[in-house]
Amino acid sequence: MALDTKAIGLLILGLIIGAAIGYGATAFTGGGQATTQEEEQKTVTYKIGFSLPLSGQLSSIGKLWEKVAYMAVDDLNKMMESYHLPYRFEAVVLDDGTTEEKALQNVQTFAQQGIKVVIGPAASSQVKAVKSFADSNHIVIISPSSTAPTLAIPNDYIFRNTGSDALQAKALAALVNHEGIKKVVVFYRDDEYGTAFADFFKREFEALGGQAVLLSYASNLADFASEVASLSSKVQSEGAEAVVLISFDTDGANILSHAKDDPVLSQIRWFSGEGIHGASELLQPSLAEWLDSIDFMGTRPVFISNPLYEEFKKKFEELTGTDPPVFSEKLYDAVFLAGWAIVRAGTYDGEAIKNALPEVAKHFYGASGWCILDENGDRAFQDYSIWTIKQVDGEYKYVDIGTYSGGSLTFTENP
Amino acid sequence: MVGVSEILNTVQMGLAYMVIALPLTLSYRVTQVINFVHIIFITLGAYTVALLGLVGLTNVWIAMGAAFLLGGALAVLDNVAVFEPLWRRGSDVLIIMVASLGLWIFYKYLIYAVLDKLFIVLRTNTLSVLVHTEGFPSVSLGGITIDGYLIDTVVASVIVSLALYLILMRTRIGKAIRAIADNQVLAEISGIPRGRVLNFMWFLSGGIAAVGGVLWALFQTTVTPEIGDQIILQVFSIAVIGGLYSLTKTAIGAFIVSGTENIVIAVLHDAFGLPLSFRPFLVFLVLLVVILIWPPLGAGGGLPYRFRVRHRSRR
Repeated sequence: MALDTKAIGLLILGLIIGAAIGYGATAFTGGGQATTQEEEQKTVTYKIGFSLPLSGQLSSIGKLWEKVAYMAVDDLNKMMESYHLPYRFEAVVLDDGTTEEKALQNVQTFAQQGIKVVIGPAASSQVKAVKSFADSNHIVIISPSSTAPTLAIPNDYIFRNTGSDALQAKALAALVNHEGIKKVVVFYRDDEYGTAFADFFKREFEALGGQAVLLSYASNLADFASEVASLSSKVQSEGAEAVVLISFDTDGANILSHAKDDPVLSQIRWFSGEGIHGASELLQPSLAEWLDSIDFMGTRPVFISNPLYEEFKKKFEELTGTDPPVFSEKLYDAVFLAGWAIVRAGTYDGEAIKNALPEVAKHFYGASGWCILDENGDRAFQDYSIWTIKQVDGEYKYVDIGTYSGGSLTFTENP
Repeated sequence: MVGVSEILNTVQMGLAYMVIALPLTLSYRVTQVINFVHIIFITLGAYTVALLGLVGLTNVWIAMGAAFLLGGALAVLDNVAVFEPLWRRGSDVLIIMVASLGLWIFYKYLIYAVLDKLFIVLRTNTLSVLVHTEGFPSVSLGGITIDGYLIDTVVASVIVSLALYLILMRTRIGKAIRAIADNQVLAEISGIPRGRVLNFMWFLSGGIAAVGGVLWALFQTTVTPEIGDQIILQVFSIAVIGGLYSLTKTAIGAFIVSGTENIVIAVLHDAFGLPLSFRPFLVFLVLLVVILIWPPLGAGGGLPYRFRVRHRSRR
């Protein structure tokens, strides 16, 4: 009996010691794991939706934008990591085929997935198509490239990280006027972007004493030879001295490639907006030679002398071997704006993000420059560069030769 | 004012349309299937000449030969892997047409995927390429410059049409193709090897359509993966104007559509200020008028209609 009591006592003692050792060991090893898990649990991943034109009319730049989007999300995550912030972002990219219907479908799909911030769509007509759904479902839309002045509406869920064309039309009118041209035919896409740009250009150019004749073309066609032939007769009958082309990249390249062979159109000056800038077709010698010979010039929104843009450009060129296409830097910055707005909002809620975004943009300076927004949610300050196509070291390149800033035009080099 | 450029455009565009639409009518007439992969043959042809130009192979005739082989091979592959197995399982033409619709979408995104990879290899934007190729030089005739690409187009389309005519009318296999088109069951009973003849017909259709793609690329000069999609409505309209039956009427349809797209729009624009953006509308107006005059399938009457009329008249 005495032995039994002793054995039981030893057993209890053993159990107590065992439990103590076990607890200690758990605290030492398992407890550590719990802390890591806690940290991991604390890291929240937010999804950012991208509605990009991976197919359709704008696919030539859309595919490059896709690369920019992934690059930006990657860089944003690295930044969060370096700041020891527990937020990560994931890109969900959908193709909108450069159509309004698919852009709307994409935003609806994002809404179903609980995604509150969408970057894109690209074209103004597409942004217009998604606007009412985004407003009523509190989805923040940040378009890197929609420029139609008609979409400058205060207090909605549409933000545009680029200046409205009301401003660019002014810059382009000043450029054409500066070149001593008094009468032009404006040849423009008959969509939201083209129509608004052409109207604003006409107003601005006529205010400077010029005369502008408007001629639109259906933007969804394969080829524009027939339209170019009509443009040629229009230029001749109106006695215009130049053509102002408001196009995207592929349609613009097609139009220029036909115009180069036209006896009337190949002899006059041509000007353009930003839509065609960066298109690789224009750099092919057969077209570039002609563009160089007629001093083809255009305007494009940029932030002048921005070292961050140069850094971005270099990185992009290393990745793809080509120049970043138009609006790439705006898209890159749009991702950072979205990310920081989510962080600032403190909650993944559309309304909170919408309220946080202008404040974030006010303090954000990126590859596209200072992103401060105006009361319409559009970029408040935008400079424009004057670009042309020139031979540099035996190769044709897009070259910025001047600037339009604060209402004045300055040439930094000869065309 | 209708100028020289409108007329030259009508000729070049019309010939390219013709070369693209002829094989569509041929394959429909033989199989009664509207093949949506036709769109891909155009894109394939256009990209053949564009990509060869990018890598420095700038002979347009080599590009046409390569496009013919590629388009033909793809058409035979579709027939062997998809259409024929479906047909053997008793699927009707509607099912096969839907399958071709699926194939079209599959190929289209495959092209996007391949071009995306090529982008990295070639270090240039392959999604929008300016055609750079060489054939005949441009010629100046009485102050009018005739573009080299137009001369290439005329030569190529004459060769293609003549070859197609000779194959269909003067060879045994051409006779066999016509026999299958007229009555498939009777043709098989007469000992015509249906499978082989159909494969040849598909090779011819796919190949010619791809050559048409090259010609369209010479006209359009900018090539994107959407090039086939963007003109297919016009091409289907042309085939329907030809009643999906008559090759001659298909050729006429090609010039009706290109004339509408170049000359009619220019005249209406000058005379009544009709916006240039009405161009696609005019094409479909022409199509509608033709169909209303010759229902249900346009100027050729269409196979089903012909049979129905004959059937009714026998009763």
